[in-house]
Amino acid sequence: MDIDVFAHGIVAGSLYALVAVSFNILYRPTNVFNFAQGELVMLGAMIFASLTSLAGMPWFVAFAATLLAVGCIGLVEERIAVAPILARSQTGTGWVITTLATSLIISNLVGRFWGPDPILVKPPALLSMDSLDIASSRISSYEIALVLLTVVLVAIVERVYRTLKGKAVMAVAEDREAALLRGIDPGSLGRWSFFLGAAFAAMTGVLAAPILYASTSLGPDLLLKGFAAAAVGSIGNNRGALIAGYVIGVTEAVGASLLSPGYQEAVIFMVVLAVLLLKPEGLFGSPNARTV
Amino acid sequence: MKATVSLPLLSASNVDAGYGHVRVLENVSIDVRQGRIVVLVGRNGAGKSTLLRALSGLNRPTSGKVTFDGSDITTAPPNAIVKAGLLHVAEGRRLFRRQSVADNIELGRYGLRLTEQDHHWRVECIHQLFPILREKMELPAGSLSGGQQQMLAIAQAMMREPKLLMLDEPSLGLAPVLVDQVLAAILTLRAQRVAILLVEQMVERALEIADDAYVMQNGRVITSGPAAEIAAGAALHAAFMGEHGAPHHSEARQGRP
Repeated sequence: MDIDVFAHGIVAGSLYALVAVSFNILYRPTNVFNFAQGELVMLGAMIFASLTSLAGMPWFVAFAATLLAVGCIGLVEERIAVAPILARSQTGTGWVITTLATSLIISNLVGRFWGPDPILVKPPALLSMDSLDIASSRISSYEIALVLLTVVLVAIVERVYRTLKGKAVMAVAEDREAALLRGIDPGSLGRWSFFLGAAFAAMTGVLAAPILYASTSLGPDLLLKGFAAAAVGSIGNNRGALIAGYVIGVTEAVGASLLSPGYQEAVIFMVVLAVLLLKPEGLFGSPNARTV
Repeated sequence: MKATVSLPLLSASNVDAGYGHVRVLENVSIDVRQGRIVVLVGRNGAGKSTLLRALSGLNRPTSGKVTFDGSDITTAPPNAIVKAGLLHVAEGRRLFRRQSVADNIELGRYGLRLTEQDHHWRVECIHQLFPILREKMELPAGSLSGGQQQMLAIAQAMMREPKLLMLDEPSLGLAPVLVDQVLAAILTLRAQRVAILLVEQMVERALEIADDAYVMQNGRVITSGPAAEIAAGAALHAAFMGEHGAPHHSEARQGRP
């Protein structure tokens, strides 16, 4: 097997892991699985592409503006599509439909506004998509940076959960009512998590754009594979999501090279099904499981 | 203790509360004065836990009024009630079992700005009262014994230096020596001017340490008064015997030494 196949699997897997982490950020305090997450990734890529490639804004300014804008959209989604349902019943599952509806609305509006053509996005200064010929691999400096950055980002997110606010999020995830009795306001943590989870999704879109191009088709693809990474890595577990992202990325790349690119998604979901059949809670246990 | 008549710290008047359309509490009124231990006794299903839940904002009263420390908290959200200094240690402890003892204690002060020194001092107070917790700081809360978990739950509340601490069945499932420790801790807290509202299945033990008592039956308060009088009176007997006069309830049996 070609080392290149493996390397590209890790690159793709890093993106899936980032999508999975953005799912987890939202899921922990709310127990809501946001089906619009893929479209928020896509929206991040599209807004960023427009601001840089079309409007010529500097990389970092566009990056900050994109995260802020999509974070606010996440907050609006929480207020309109999620909070009213959870207010009626904490265990209600109506959010399955409302977040899916949000996903369709974003997808359709973006399609109308930007059209179907992919937009080329250049990597930030000092990095490029040109392949470096190291060890017969055609990986680029940007892709190496992305893989490293993903590991750093997962470490940062995990570090945030070691702060008092983060511990409070974990407390809400474990026992919402018990958290209320300690003066924790789960509603406020939920809103913050929607903002940050959406901003994280947008960042994933920005990081993916130089590799995958910014296009409206980005959403459903990353939603499915990000979901697969979150499920295989145990929902709520970010380190698990990182490893599972690699597993899925490499499986996809190897599957495509051994069989044919047409089968790559089938191969991924065979792996996901096999893992979930053997370990329904995912490979890395669930931090939300009650041990009584 | 001051001789002047002061307003009670907590005052619930004519409170109705329940779950969904099921009304559990009917017209319940209780007062808790500063630095007093008040015990709620009654059979299972009498509405004791529901009353605590109504007071801490988990089950908002459907009618009536609750005031705490001079402000109306009838419709306040639980986090605001906690912030005001009314802490509720729920039945079954409800700790964050996957987080460490140290993290659980730290979560006890969530949203409270404390100086490093203050924080250190409060943790030190907790360790003084419950020395066993000092040794277990890095272990997950779920690995503690029932008695240690109860201590940790009280410790969490102590991080806020509450004005009133409500304890729901703190002795449930504990070995006798640990029950003694928990009751001793309650007395220590009273000595620090913390008011205690106690729901307890060990009725006689609770009445021994309490100042005041309320007897509940079928969602109502049937009698109240100084704990010693209640312990000697007939109402308590009636509450536990039920209408048919058979002492079939575990609470009544466990209440006897």
